[in-house]
Amino acid sequence: MLRMEIALFLVLAFVACMYFGADKERTALHKTFGVLLLAALTNLLMDGVTVWTVHHLDVVPRLLNDAVHRLFLGSMVLVIYLFYQYIAILVEEETGKPRRLDGPAKAFLAAAELGNFLLPISYTVTPEGNYSSGPYMLVPYFGVAFYLLLCAGLLTVNWRQIDTKRKRAIGSALLIEVTVCVLQGLRHTWLISGMGITLMTLSFYLTLENPDILRAELTEQKMSMLYLKSQVNPHFLYNTLDTIRIQAQLNGDKKVAALLMRLVDFFRLSVKVDRPMVTLDDEMELLEAYMELMCCRYPELQCEVDIDPELGGALVPNFILQPIVENSLLHGLKNRGYRGEVRICARRDGEDRLEISVRDTGSGFAEGRKAAVDEVLRSYAKQPPKLSGNSIGILNVQKRIKLLCGREYGLSYTENDEGGVTAHILLPLREEMT
Amino acid sequence: MKKLSVLLVDDEIMIREGFKRLFDWEAHDCEVVGEAGDGMEALTKIDALRPDIVIMDINIPIMNGLKVIQLSRIKHPATAFVIVSGYDDFSYCREALRLQITDYILKPVNYEEFGGCIDNLKISLFERRVSAAAEPEKQEERTITGLTRYLQEHLTEEISLSVLAEQFHLNPQYISQLFKSEIGVNFLAYLTNVRMEKAKKLLLSTSLSIAEVAEQSGYGDYRVFTKVFKKAEGVTPSQYRRDFLET
Repeated sequence: MLRMEIALFLVLAFVACMYFGADKERTALHKTFGVLLLAALTNLLMDGVTVWTVHHLDVVPRLLNDAVHRLFLGSMVLVIYLFYQYIAILVEEETGKPRRLDGPAKAFLAAAELGNFLLPISYTVTPEGNYSSGPYMLVPYFGVAFYLLLCAGLLTVNWRQIDTKRKRAIGSALLIEVTVCVLQGLRHTWLISGMGITLMTLSFYLTLENPDILRAELTEQKMSMLYLKSQVNPHFLYNTLDTIRIQAQLNGDKKVAALLMRLVDFFRLSVKVDRPMVTLDDEMELLEAYMELMCCRYPELQCEVDIDPELGGALVPNFILQPIVENSLLHGLKNRGYRGEVRICARRDGEDRLEISVRDTGSGFAEGRKAAVDEVLRSYAKQPPKLSGNSIGILNVQKRIKLLCGREYGLSYTENDEGGVTAHILLPLREEMT
Repeated sequence: MKKLSVLLVDDEIMIREGFKRLFDWEAHDCEVVGEAGDGMEALTKIDALRPDIVIMDINIPIMNGLKVIQLSRIKHPATAFVIVSGYDDFSYCREALRLQITDYILKPVNYEEFGGCIDNLKISLFERRVSAAAEPEKQEERTITGLTRYLQEHLTEEISLSVLAEQFHLNPQYISQLFKSEIGVNFLAYLTNVRMEKAKKLLLSTSLSIAEVAEQSGYGDYRVFTKVFKKAEGVTPSQYRRDFLET
């Protein structure tokens, strides 16, 4: 008889390991699920113990048998209560309405636990097996019925506002538990309450709490934080900077005023770009503002631009040059004390291709670095989306070029004979529709 | 040439201060005669002071700058309006152009380059005078009209003060002074302005390449042309062509 309880315990223990090992947001929902897992494991443990003791009434002292049975059903009511709590939080997250039934639910839990420890227990012995009975059995039946009704109520009242995936998770969990309870009510000797609880937990784990979903949630949250950070009203930002610039100039500080002017330009341009493709002229304008700021910070830095004006109208994915130039500065010229040159050229490559190159006189690739960069750029599609870290800039540029222009285009690096590296950006030559 | 009177309209005191003190109005024969911080005040001051030039922000309290221009236009057709705006948005620009403003410049305003805007303004005022008057009366006026006509006709050639001096049998210094006194800008600024106007016309009305436009506007090197154009118009020649042909 114990085989099922052991199997269920092992399954849930495995789930618990996976769950507690995963990175997740620390939300009320996930915390509740964690507590729920622990309570369910305790319940399954007590389940196994009682299944054994109830069949060894002659060996186990009556008092001990009572105690483990009361602990078993006590933990079961607690688990069901936690399920209710979990579903209530889910519904709250979806609808934004505060939970109003927490008070009654908690009061009922207290009453049920009290009843569970006070009401008398008896044991029924049958040829198919033994089971506990008596007035204390009212507690699990009422408990389960009460909380399941609450959950079903929550689900139906808020049916329209809840996301389909969550609706399915809650609905299937409830259906499983109801089925198991009905079966248990009809066949007292089956002792399958542990199965209901395990299946319910599993249904939530598989749909809403598995490591993949938790990770996705975490990434999404980080992304939205970044997004929010960049949501400072840009007009406020550059209007304020402009006011400071005028004040600086009124104070006679021309240098500061000129720098602020370029910074304002840079912000204005980077805010303005809201299309995936922009003209090379627009892209260069942003880059020039950036370069001028950098050259001012590092006076020995030089920047040369050589672009055929006929190519000014060519369409390029926006914001692809600045990350490349920034890479040249941070990984190449920084090691030279920012002494050196960045040269940006754009030329026609054949009839229908455009090549933009960014050549620097920096320190070049470190030992083995070239191969690593080539690998990242080659297997760009397999690289997981990153929010920070090495080669994030070039990886992003590569992905966007491939996505917007096609797979035959993209970014590559070569080493210069006289030192430093050159980034080559190959693009289709498309003109803006006029 | 009389001094041009200027009214500054912006809701930020700092920006008005900046305009007033950081731009050399004196050197450009201008004088700031008043300031306004909102649309109503701007309307009243335009009526009371009758300025030659109004420097106007769009986003100002009570009534926006475009509305002010629209209302003032009827009463003061000769007033030149220069819009200074942080709204880097072409729809505003289009509406502004419909109101026949003289110029549209974007914040942040570079005070060193703002002189170019005033020069353009003076040149357009001069051209309006020339086309309005049937036959110039004064000798100076006749001379300057002749000089400017010559410039228009010989744009693709190498032109300098000494070339003009030779052609018109005049002293180069005198020609230089004439430009300053009759138009209010120096010779080089006038020449650049005429070349830019020509270039803009070519960019919009022909499909000549940038290099060809540069050459026909008097620039042998298209790189120099692109640089000068960008400085004057805020955009490169090809951007300019696209921006206008798009709409």
